[in-house]
Formats: sequence, structure tokens, C-alpha cells
Amino acid sequence: MSQLAKLQSDFQAYLMDDVKGAAFKAHMIDDEKVGAKKRLGIYVDAYRLRIIEALATTYPKLKALLGDDLFEITARAYIKQFPSKYRNMRWVGDKMQTHLEQTLSQHPIAVEMAAFEWALGLAFDAEDAPNFTLQDLAAILPEDWANLTFRFHPSYHLLPLQHNVVQIWNALDKEEIPPNALQTNAPCLIWRMDLNAHFRSLDTTEYAALQSIVEGASFGTLCEQLQENASEEDATIQAAQYLSGWLNDGLITKA
Amino acid sequence: MSNTQQLPHLTSPSLGFGLGLRTEHYHPILNSKFSESLKVDWFEVLSENYMVPGGKPLYFLDKIRENYPVVMHGVSLSIGSTTPLDADYLRDLRKLADRIQPAWISDHLCWTGVHGQNMHDLLPLPYTEETAKHVVERVGIVQDYLGRRILLENVSSYASYIDSTMTEWEFITEVAEQADCLLLLDVNNIYVSGYNHQFDAKVFIDGVPKNRVQQIHLAGHHNHGDYIIDTHDAPVIDPVWDLYEYAISRFGAVSTMIERDDHIPELAVLVEELQIARDIAAKSLEVAA
Repeated sequence: MSQLAKLQSDFQAYLMDDVKGAAFKAHMIDDEKVGAKKRLGIYVDAYRLRIIEALATTYPKLKALLGDDLFEITARAYIKQFPSKYRNMRWVGDKMQTHLEQTLSQHPIAVEMAAFEWALGLAFDAEDAPNFTLQDLAAILPEDWANLTFRFHPSYHLLPLQHNVVQIWNALDKEEIPPNALQTNAPCLIWRMDLNAHFRSLDTTEYAALQSIVEGASFGTLCEQLQENASEEDATIQAAQYLSGWLNDGLITKA
Repeated sequence: MSNTQQLPHLTSPSLGFGLGLRTEHYHPILNSKFSESLKVDWFEVLSENYMVPGGKPLYFLDKIRENYPVVMHGVSLSIGSTTPLDADYLRDLRKLADRIQPAWISDHLCWTGVHGQNMHDLLPLPYTEETAKHVVERVGIVQDYLGRRILLENVSSYASYIDSTMTEWEFITEVAEQADCLLLLDVNNIYVSGYNHQFDAKVFIDGVPKNRVQQIHLAGHHNHGDYIIDTHDAPVIDPVWDLYEYAISRFGAVSTMIERDDHIPELAVLVEELQIARDIAAKSLEVAA
């Protein structure tokens, strides 16, 4: 290892743990005015504060839910457990859900809030793709409808939530007192429309319909699937309504 | 004629006076363009903020690029690190450059982590021959890959190595000349580091190669008494304006911009602050002429 490599390795070790890495201090000029420990302390603090701030930007409602103190404790433990391997601070919080499962398992609502906010972030800057429009749909020949398949926008994400996370998020967003955490089967659709991340809760039928279409089922197969609980006519109308809603929401893109 | 004046002119003509592009200002920038009331000549964007797949950041960057020259400024190249250069990062950087065609690309003369980790900070380098040689080699690789000279910026620092064998300005000069790269001189950082390490900021300015300074940064900081932390959350202070005047008298017209990363005021406030830079530069150039 070169001298430079050793210095950098020791400096980084000091930033991670200034007690274990204390020997590195000897490489720094130790003046009377400030002192090497205080000088290095500026870097030690900045490392954590910068990432805590980035995590707070990624997880604003998780922070509101946990409160400032618990969020900071959580963030500091996270930084220790999952040091950043990313060039872009944007991705630093990617293991938060795992971290909360390990450290706050008694609060599953926090785990799901992290999953929800991470998904919102992914939708925000997911790849762009041109929307499939009603005009594109009008150009489809009647005989092709049954075999028609769809491609979903890269920002599309289905989150099978087990708690009332969306209600809590909405209340926190309005700076209102959030409802108590409740267990409920509340799948959520997250995607980007008009440059902003959107979300809405889904009933189990639409959730199943979306899952089928995403997995490559055709429009005809969707109609058949919906016939399990409805007449052929009602199932076709329901499928058409879903499709129209997905198109209006900008969920479907050109193949 | 002095030796310095005989050196080839490596820098591009000044773009004028710019600002760091911040999300808070997207709408005011795009709205005011049409009334032509915005006195900002160009914008600097933080490269990493736009090295994302799509969505709002790239949408607004494309819109702003339609109306203004843009330069790219990175924080994660980690040119001084002993960990190998990150090929994925360089690929994404070049992809962004291909998309927005920046006037130039810059990053910092520092390191940000080793062993595959990123500390997300601009960490200081020991100023030694070994470090200079290492950095020069890496700048060469980056410049070959990007097909252009890059600019390296002097960082604010709070600690210095007993291992250093030269001053910061000697180190910068050696790297710039050996690697044949350009410089982004942060006048505030010179002031901050000068205060923290007790050197004369003017000696620093006099010590860097005149023909390689392509851009100047200005910013505010927080003075803790015994030391200064470079926070970019306040207006530029008078002693930094004085240093700026001194720098312009030495380097001539150089693209100048103000960085504000926290406590970001309304765009008009920064445009007003930029006017101070315009006035100082005009005065300094007039005196020099």
C-alpha cells in the first residue's frame, strides 16, 4: 500500500470511528489555536450531518413519524451499518427498510413508511417514456384487441402495504396529527405523472388486474379474469374502465 | 514581457456572471427568461443531481439549457482517491455531458473515499510529490475519456497533513501543469483555508498559473472565531470581495459565479449579489487596462 493509500485508509477509518482510528490524528498538524482533534472533528461531524440531512430529504414523513430524536438515532445507526457506496447522495437511503426491520421491528409502520417514501423517490426520477394515448388506442384494429398487451411506465410501482401508511403520510403532509397505525390490506400504486410522483390505494380487483397486465396478460385475458366475479358484459366494461383510467394516469407507454 | 504572459492562452472566453442552479429557482428562471429581465449569463449545475434516469431534474435542466450556457460541476469524481476511478460514474458523467453539451466540466482537487465507500465530503490531500503524480495520472485518464480538459477546484480545508512537502498553491500548480488541466478558483475557499491554516490568500492567488484559471466561485461561510466552516449559506463577505477584485486584476475577465447551497434566498437576491461581482470585475479590469 502506498503512503497516500495508507493515509486515506486511516483518515476514512477515523471518520467512521474516531476512537478506534485515533492514531491517525498524529498525521495532522496539531496547533494551539484549534488543535488536530477539533480540526478532524469538523470532518467527523460533517460526514454524519450531511448524510442525516440526505436521509431526512428522502424520508421526510418517516422523520415526522419517528420524531427528530428517534430519527437522528436511527440515521446515525444506519450510517454506521450501511456506509455509502454511492457517488450520488440520492441513493444513500436505499437500505433503510432493511435497517428498520432490524432495529425497529416493533414498529412495522415505520418499515412500510420507508418503503413507501423510497418508492415515491424512485417514481420521481425514474426513466422517461412516451405515453400511450387514447389516440394510439383508437388506432388498434377491433380484431387485435383480445391479444393487446401493455407496457407500463418505468416509474410504475405496486406496493403491497399491510398498514394505513397512505393515510398517515397524507395527515403528516398536511401537518395534521396522523391516525393510529392500523393493520389493513392496502395495496398502493405509485407512479409519475406530469413530473410529479403520484400514488393511490387500490382495491383488490384492480390490484390483481394490474399484476396480471404487468406480467404480460393480454386485454382478452384480463376480461376473462374479471369474468370470474362478473358477467361477460360487466367484466368487459370493467376492463375498459381500468384501461381508460390507466391511460389517463399516464401509466401505459408506447411499446 | 514576463514569462507568464508568454504562456499559451488555454482558457475559453468568459461566459460572464452565473449562478449555481438550484431547484427552488427553476420556475423563476424559466418565467423571467421571456421577459428578459434576468441578469444571469449562465448556470452551473451539480452533475450528480442530474445523473439520474429521468423525470423533473432532467426536464428542467433541458429547458434551462435551451436558454442558457451551462457548466457541469461534480462532487464525486474523487480524483485524488487511491481507489480506482469509477467507470460507471465516468460513463454517466459523459452521458450527461453528451446530453447538455456543457461549456466545461469541473470537480474538486480532493478525495471523497476509499475501499468502495463514499464519505460525501471533499477531503483534503497531502501536498506531496507522490500525491501530485497520482492525481496527474488520473486527470489524464479522465480527460482522455471525456475528450476535453477538466477544471479542478481548490477546496476549503480544516486540517492539514504533517506529511505535506509543499504549499497548496504549489501543489495545484504542479497538478495543473503536469496534467494539463484547467482550474476553478474558489476565492471563498482560498479565504477560508487561508484563515484556517494561516496563510496569505493573496500569495495563493499569485501562486497559481494565470493561463489556466477558467472559472471563479464565490460564496459565503460561517466564522466560528478560531476557524471558518465553508457553509455556502450566506452572502459573500467583504474580505472575499476584496480578494475577488485582486484575483480579477491578476487573471483578467474570468467566468464568475455565486454558490448558495443552504438558506437559499429568492433568485432576485442572488442576482443582486451577482451585480456586486459584475461591478467589482468591471472596476478591476478598468484599473488593469
